[in-house]
Amino acid sequence: MIDKESKVRRGDQVVARELTPGEGGVLLHLESAQYFGLNQIGLLIWNALEEEKTAGELVDHVRSQVEDPPAQLESDVLSFLAGAQDRGIVDLA
Amino acid sequence: MTRLPGAVQLGTCFGFAVRSSLPFHYLREGAGDPLDVSVGDEADPEPAEPPVVEWAATPELPYDIRLFDEDGGYRLWISTSGWFRVDPGLSSVTVPADDDVVRREERIWGLPAMLCMLSRGDLPLHAAAVEVGGKAIVLGAPKTFGKTTLAAAFANAGFRLLSEDNTCIRLGETPAVIPGPAMLRVRHDVAAELEIEGATLLGAADDRVHLALDPARRGDCAPVPLAGIVLLRTSDEGTRTELVAPTDAIRDLWPLSFRIPNEAHRTRCFVALTDLVRTVPTRNLYRPLRLADLEATVELVAQSV
Repeated sequence: MIDKESKVRRGDQVVARELTPGEGGVLLHLESAQYFGLNQIGLLIWNALEEEKTAGELVDHVRSQVEDPPAQLESDVLSFLAGAQDRGIVDLA
Repeated sequence: MTRLPGAVQLGTCFGFAVRSSLPFHYLREGAGDPLDVSVGDEADPEPAEPPVVEWAATPELPYDIRLFDEDGGYRLWISTSGWFRVDPGLSSVTVPADDDVVRREERIWGLPAMLCMLSRGDLPLHAAAVEVGGKAIVLGAPKTFGKTTLAAAFANAGFRLLSEDNTCIRLGETPAVIPGPAMLRVRHDVAAELEIEGATLLGAADDRVHLALDPARRGDCAPVPLAGIVLLRTSDEGTRTELVAPTDAIRDLWPLSFRIPNEAHRTRCFVALTDLVRTVPTRNLYRPLRLADLEATVELVAQSV
């Protein structure tokens, strides 16, 4: 269960590539060979995880970068992180 | 480098200039990176280490394959042929003594050639490719989605066939296709309906008719700039194409790419695919799987890329 205090870092088995501006990015989990597409928000989160952060810090970061952030932004980010953790894309510190 | 005694340069395929005393049927003209092909020693023991990858026979690929790392190269067991050894560093492939020389050559242009492509830094894709107006179009499809039939239709329409089953893509500022074997292996039911022009029948094994393109239609192995990738889909509602978002293109191209199943090769392949879709447009082609629609499909694809 990820909450705002959870410390999150990139999975060490993941390769990321950014596509052309506006196209988001793509991730590959090297061990499972599973492939994941990221929209621009997902890419924003991934790029912010260059350094370990709490989920709350990630929510604040996304809010500061997005025009007219939706009311449910926090739950969206937490949901994204939970899915990413299930897939081994991010780990809890 | 020491060359094989009695071997002569026979021609090119995938940008490799083949030197061999064995018969070949699918080579093109021109120059390329040297590749010596000779018969190996069948008495060599099976490698002690387990294979790095095994493929079980499928309806589309009706033979078992085991690939082993060995002494900086690869040993490859193909159940219907025997042992191959691939030494990209030595520019050498050894093949089993096989009475069916056409089948043996076709095997060479499969995995052994793809291992050599990887070593050269190229990207092997399970796809066909054709040349239209001096540019290459890659035709990708999982399993039997009619890519060979469509490639044959392009050939019949006067376009040059660059590869029929596996395509070698050279990455860089301008990605390009390196032409592969000048062969077509068309299903019997298709061959019965679609007269393939400018090709010589070599045999009718398994479920396919095996054809070699006539020399005048082959050309050489010079890289052909890649104009677009077309992913074949079926539809009962006419023929159309649509651009594919890069994230979706990578998802669909990933299963078509050949790679050794380790982290280094997966990373390299992933990086190569993302570089590819950044620079080359990918389109879905929806079309009915009917021979009567082939001509119009060829025209649409040729115009859309």
